[in-house]
Amino acid sequence: MPEPTGDGLAVTDTAAPATEDPRADDDLAPPDELPVTASEAAREESSGGFTALVIAGLVFIVAGWLLPWFVEQTSNGIGYSAQDAVSSPPTGIGTIVVYLIAVAMVGLVAFALYDLVRGIAHRGRPLRWWRGRAALAILGAVGTLVVWLLIGVLREEPLFGNISSLAATDNAVWMTLTGFVVLALAYGLRPWVVTHGEVAFGGVVFMIGALMPFIFNQSSSFIEWGASAAAIYTLLALGLNIVVGFAGLLDLGYAAFFAIGAYTCGSLASPVHGLHFPFWIVIFIGLAVAALFGAVLGAPTLRLRGDYLAIVTLGFGEIIPDAANNNLFNATGGPEGITGIDHPSIFGFNFGIDAKFYFWSLLIIIAIVLVLLRNIQRSRLGRAWAAIREDEVAAAATGVNPVTTKLLAFSIGASISGLAGAFFGAELGSVTPDSFQFAVSVTVLSTVVLGGLGNNTGVAAGGILVSFIIFWMLDHLQEWMGTFGLKFGLPALGTIDYSRWVYIVYGAILVGIMLLRPAGLLPSRARKSELQAGGQTEALAVVQGRV
Amino acid sequence: MPASADATAIGISADPSPTLMARIRDVGRLLNRAFPIIIVAVLILMIGLVAGRSGGTTAAAEVREGLTIGAVYALIAVGYTMVYGIIELINFAHGDVFTLSAFYAIFIAEFQPFGFNLNSLATSGPLGFFGALAILMPLTMIAAGLTGMLIERVAYRRLRTAPRLAPLITAVGVSFIIEGFLFATQGSTNVRTGKAGWLPGNAFTAGGVVVSWHDIFVFFSALVLMFLLQAFVRLTRLGKAMRATAQDRDAALLNGVNINRTISATFFIGSALAAAGGIIYSVKDDLVVWNLGFRFGIIAFTCAVLGGIGNIVGAGVGAFLIGLIQVFGGQLIGSAWDNAIIFAMLIIVLVVRPVGLLGMRVADRA
Repeated sequence: MPEPTGDGLAVTDTAAPATEDPRADDDLAPPDELPVTASEAAREESSGGFTALVIAGLVFIVAGWLLPWFVEQTSNGIGYSAQDAVSSPPTGIGTIVVYLIAVAMVGLVAFALYDLVRGIAHRGRPLRWWRGRAALAILGAVGTLVVWLLIGVLREEPLFGNISSLAATDNAVWMTLTGFVVLALAYGLRPWVVTHGEVAFGGVVFMIGALMPFIFNQSSSFIEWGASAAAIYTLLALGLNIVVGFAGLLDLGYAAFFAIGAYTCGSLASPVHGLHFPFWIVIFIGLAVAALFGAVLGAPTLRLRGDYLAIVTLGFGEIIPDAANNNLFNATGGPEGITGIDHPSIFGFNFGIDAKFYFWSLLIIIAIVLVLLRNIQRSRLGRAWAAIREDEVAAAATGVNPVTTKLLAFSIGASISGLAGAFFGAELGSVTPDSFQFAVSVTVLSTVVLGGLGNNTGVAAGGILVSFIIFWMLDHLQEWMGTFGLKFGLPALGTIDYSRWVYIVYGAILVGIMLLRPAGLLPSRARKSELQAGGQTEALAVVQGRV
Repeated sequence: MPASADATAIGISADPSPTLMARIRDVGRLLNRAFPIIIVAVLILMIGLVAGRSGGTTAAAEVREGLTIGAVYALIAVGYTMVYGIIELINFAHGDVFTLSAFYAIFIAEFQPFGFNLNSLATSGPLGFFGALAILMPLTMIAAGLTGMLIERVAYRRLRTAPRLAPLITAVGVSFIIEGFLFATQGSTNVRTGKAGWLPGNAFTAGGVVVSWHDIFVFFSALVLMFLLQAFVRLTRLGKAMRATAQDRDAALLNGVNINRTISATFFIGSALAAAGGIIYSVKDDLVVWNLGFRFGIIAFTCAVLGGIGNIVGAGVGAFLIGLIQVFGGQLIGSAWDNAIIFAMLIIVLVVRPVGLLGMRVADRA
């Protein structure tokens, strides 16, 4: 977009291709000084989707490669005999084949990496020499499979069978394979990916997400609780993003609505009050009740300036767990909370305590929410939110009703939190007040800030990242560091209580991101241009409907 | 709200007959005007109820309790109100500076270079107490003040022109960093400050109410510090610079005020007073815990809002009122509802009279 940023870089960027092969430019904007059009904007946005796909693929490949080594380093070598297959290479006729394919794979990854770096260096503009990469990527995918099969065969160990001894290798294969499939998709369907980046990236994320229980079929503890908890956090982050990112209202008590949803679910589908509503109705009731509370809290306070709102929501976020803890109206069960909540069932099939089914349902819900949010953001209401966020007085002067608009943001955000809460209650089977402390609100907020205020894709990515850190890394950090410490002669590493440092990490994330990348890791276009050009482009973007 | 309010003000309202919304607005305006009277009336009613239920002695003892806790709130609230007044930021980390300085005070008081420490000095007698205080107070206040300046320099200064949300989020982050630091180094349980024996004994007993020396110390040291602060802000050059910066930063800059230094000084003073609060709290209650500042911070902010944010005297008045309301509300409803009472109070104040009791700022900017 040469016009709005106008920082010279874009101009040199568009001037260069003319000297190169012009035919290859078919997926590029015409290299002239046209004013910004919606299609060009969409294209530029989408090349980000392509970059993201390539990054995702590379991360999966490299993580898959490193996983056996990592497991070896951290697990004391118990129960992971298969990683020996990596450290002691196979012998005989297969060796050459294995190494050839391995070299090809490394070369391919290096290639994609170079492509990526070049793409980023060129400010995300699509490159012109992508053709033929798809074939290589597919080859890589097949190659991975072959290598691992060969390793398995040569070691006379079944690759996908003997679960207990092959855990790490099996996960590694699936991860690497997934990475190559993603790369193959990205390069193979590049023209389509470039114009439909968001959809493509979303599709791939959901594909990987849905396959998670199979990719990590060995690390059951992660998938059992981690993945569905991650999905709930992602849902919460998406909801909070409406309030903080879209409408610019700081909500520091978001966990309150989460609690309201969970307690609604607990009251309507448990033996406590003898009510047993079907779960799929309960989540909508939870949603509606949370939205109602959002409106009730918001109606009187949204007239105030933004940071007062932050304090009011903070107070509300403290009152709700307190009220639950004090057994308000004898309905919340006090500190013990509500137990025995019904698990959901669909067509007579009960989800029980198998986290997989909750995870898949949540994935579907997140997909629906994402599509809805995308549409809302581009609707009249979404633009009104942007206008309010940027300048409330100006927005009011041009006919946006600030109170209604803010109230809607607040209510819609709360309703998503309520929905997540209902799910949370049904999955755990119990709700207690201490699940909804201030730390939850701050975690969700740091997720939103980290991912990129106002950008759904970024926030969803932030949700995945933060929950990965919380539910998986922190769980294992103690054990990992202990083993690392023993291996490298630093036993002191294992004696540190890492759970104690969580708060500092959250705080540092909030401060660091705000200072270094105020718009988050994946900033929304509006925020990015706002920071580059002091807000004028934002207005332009809103007017042109690009936000 | 601004648009509609202006529209009614200049008389272009489309519908001249009083609608429901207009009636609500009228009631709201009335409540707004009468708010100081209402809040005092409610407080007197609460005191009366407690006196009627549990006897006058209990009520009087609760008044003492409310005033001493209010004194601690007052010293914290001043920091909030000063910072908010000057850069319009809710300094979330301020409550944690209070906790942090209580831990500074523990460290300083237990530091033992010459075979004795401040704790042993303070317990040696009245003179020893004042001697220990004269050493501990300035040291802790300077340490806390420097911490406050550091926080401002690192986390807020770069974001002074950023969107309002940005420094608020870093403030939450700094709060988490301080709490995390205390949690990691001091543990998750209550820590004894060792100042319980600093001021033993009771001063007098009036009508069955025991007033101990540390009650008097807490109450009057807060008052003295508040008066000193007020005098400082009113009478000194730096105080004048602060007031100028709070009123109009650009105009102050044009008149030769060094904005950065003034804001740093504000943080220094605010944090130093929070440190004083930390010390008097240690003398009063003896137990501190890593996340104490979270609750105290929000309550103190409520006090600042109640009194009228940006107004130092207002912060003091609000703090004593909140202290009393908390204590009597706890008596009437149950102390488990302490937080809920205070936050409900905050919401009510913000809804009915956002400018607070003594505030004059118009609180409708986005």
